[in-house]
Amino acid sequence: MIEFEPVDLTTEERRLQVEVIEFLEQELPHGTYRPGLGFSAEKDPAFSRKLGERGWLGMALPTEYGGHDRSAVDRFIVAEQLLRWGAPVGHHWVADRQSGPVIAKFGTEEQKRTFLPRICSGELSFCIGMSEPDSGSDLASLSTRAVRDGDGWVVSGTKIWTTMAHEHDYVIALTRTTPIEESGDKRNGLTQFIIDLASPGLTATPIPFIDNSADFCEVVFDDVYVPADRVLGEVGQGWAQNTSELAYERGGPDRWLSSYLLVEELLRRDGASDTDARPSPELLDLLGNAVANYWVLHHLSLSVARDIDRGGAPAIESSLVKEMGTRFEQDVVTAVLAYLDEAPNTLDSSVFGHLLMTAALTQPSFTVRGGTNEVLRSVAAKGLRPSGSSR
Amino acid sequence: MTTTHTADALVTETVERLLTDLSTQGEIEHAESTGWSSTVWAALAEVGFPWVGIDGAKGGSGGTLYDLAAILDAIGRHAAPVPVAETAMVGGWMLAEAGLDLPAGPVAVAETTGARVVDGRLVLDAPVAFARHADRIVTLMPVGPDGIHLVSLRPDQVTIVPGYNLAGEARDTVVVDAPANDWETSQISDDLSLSAPWNSIRHRGSLSRSIMAAGALASMAQLTVDYTNDRRQFGKSVASFQAVQIHLVTVAQCAVRAKMAADVAVRAFARGGSLHEIAAARVVVDDAITIGTRAAHQAHGAMGVTREYPLHQLTRRLWSWRQEWGTTKQWRRELGSTVVERGADELFALVTEHPQP
Ligand SMILES: Cc1cc2nc3c(=O)[nH]c(=O)nc-3n(C[C@H](O)[C@H](O)[C@H](O)COP(=O)(O)OP(=O)(O)OC[C@H]3O[C@@H](n4cnc5c(N)ncnc54)[C@H](O)[C@@H]3O)c2cc1C
Repeated sequence: MIEFEPVDLTTEERRLQVEVIEFLEQELPHGTYRPGLGFSAEKDPAFSRKLGERGWLGMALPTEYGGHDRSAVDRFIVAEQLLRWGAPVGHHWVADRQSGPVIAKFGTEEQKRTFLPRICSGELSFCIGMSEPDSGSDLASLSTRAVRDGDGWVVSGTKIWTTMAHEHDYVIALTRTTPIEESGDKRNGLTQFIIDLASPGLTATPIPFIDNSADFCEVVFDDVYVPADRVLGEVGQGWAQNTSELAYERGGPDRWLSSYLLVEELLRRDGASDTDARPSPELLDLLGNAVANYWVLHHLSLSVARDIDRGGAPAIESSLVKEMGTRFEQDVVTAVLAYLDEAPNTLDSSVFGHLLMTAALTQPSFTVRGGTNEVLRSVAAKGLRPSGSSR
Repeated sequence: MTTTHTADALVTETVERLLTDLSTQGEIEHAESTGWSSTVWAALAEVGFPWVGIDGAKGGSGGTLYDLAAILDAIGRHAAPVPVAETAMVGGWMLAEAGLDLPAGPVAVAETTGARVVDGRLVLDAPVAFARHADRIVTLMPVGPDGIHLVSLRPDQVTIVPGYNLAGEARDTVVVDAPANDWETSQISDDLSLSAPWNSIRHRGSLSRSIMAAGALASMAQLTVDYTNDRRQFGKSVASFQAVQIHLVTVAQCAVRAKMAADVAVRAFARGGSLHEIAAARVVVDDAITIGTRAAHQAHGAMGVTREYPLHQLTRRLWSWRQEWGTTKQWRRELGSTVVERGADELFALVTEHPQP
């Protein structure tokens, strides 16, 4: 059976926890910013740069490229506190979580020197260019093509749901460089590219989101020229590289904290100790349930990070955690809505009201983005082996 | 890294070997006629396991809470019908702490702060696990003007009305025959309020159930994977159907959640930390029991609800343990109250603070 080892934090790790909290209390005092829901919070490049100055971006990347040679657990600790705060992490989140690590792992020396220091400083922002109109869960069926052209490549096709493509700097795009008819298996013949979103021929158009925000985009590549030195990793090895990228994308604290602030703000609103009224049993039920689940998800998800630091490849474990974590994020929204006597109102501009409205509308996406729960269950099921068979 | 949080390998291996040999499907079935397995108890008692975690100087076997947790985890995994939690985790520990005699046999604990008088006799107002097999039945009672006492009753001082939980384990009603001045008692120190010793006992009892349930859920998850891989329908193993895989993933998630919750709660408790982890563990574990047993049974089809196949030996225990040493609702509200007391600014600390090694 799958096992998760409980984690003890070292003294340094505890200190880091405290440092991040102190930093946030100073930089983002309550009432001075609009807290957001998890990693789809606001974006603020100036805030990202401050984090970079503190050494809290690209933490696990090598120091020679501007990183800090720290651990996945350290990154987890910082990420967790930022999410709890509802801090404006939108600018750097993807770059810090996955683009940086993937470039560090598969990039050329020149790519590492070009991109990593500026990811670690909070300057550069990245997007994920995987999904296409006809290829969602069945990602390997994708059809965006990259064809050799002299020294470089020409990319044509359409990516979709590309979060922040209209505002960010680069996209790591998975493309087909060998047609399926020639590659045999659809997972062969795929290649990743680092593409400048300002390239001629590239158009990113926001797709209005359910709450009327505009974050994810359709990205059309109309014969976009990409220099040869922007191939990421090996030509034809895109599928394996992309799979390893997904491991960074799953299992972290952003997969169970999306609706956390709703609970904290509800407690701030209804749990005030200055009133004589005893908290209602409904409130106690909601809080007891929520905290018990956050607590165990914290420990499970932290255990995945520790495993990564020990050289493990916890793909199964992170799928298990993401699947239950995102379902729980939705359960929290449902529980809060059921508890309240009033319906969410889109004109309510209080912190709680705004979070509630956003969560009520956007919660279906929690179990879709980053791989649907159905797909995650299939991944996890592969790790559930009968007794006697080895993993 | 510190190794203070792990059980002695010899304890882990020994309990595993003993229970694999003795807590068999047949023995567990047989135990339902008497409400326990004297065979399994005798084997565990011979190596001192029912007194692990109790100070050697006070008559126990010594060892750590981690050793005891490993034993209770194995008891859960093997569905062993024996009062080890009752003896080592709660009753025997209470006697030893109070300086009263630790008997050679099991100690049962009345999960109650009170008793009621019926026809002039004292009836403990909650069922007592394994009372009929115990050498002593202990409870806390207000006695006389000087406060709360730990009361230790001998079998000849009580009448037992037999009862059983859903798993066929003895859960008896105890009527106290002996007059109060014949009881062996020990006054709980004056500086403790009525609720404090009870609170500590209640938490120990609840933690024992979380540990055992996590063990049983782990076995249940593996059993379900094994069965669905063996069982073939439509020309292939049913585990290859995506709809069945959802059940397998659900049971596995329930097992890992429960195990993590129990492990962290044990660490927090062993390190003298706060008690809210024990409440949180029960909320997580009870939910895992409800969801996990449903998925496991569904994946087994009709075979799961027969007496011939061992799934029921795990699931009936899980359903029973879920309602012992406090209900989910009580623990959830208790945790909720802690959250309200700590306030919104401290909410995330409750989630992320770790028991100090
Ligand atoms: C808010 C948000 C942001 C996103 N940001 C990005 C981004 O930045 N970059 C990017 O590349 N993508 C992004 N995505 C896309 C996301 O990765 C896809 O939505 C996801 O992979 C599912 O693909 P799909 O939406 O096409 O659903 P489909 O694949 O069409 O699935 C429809 C339904 O069928 C089920 N299904 C499909 N295949 C199977 C199967 N084999 N077994 C069982 N069930 C199956 C699915 O689970 C789902 O319930 C984002 C999505 C959202 C909601």
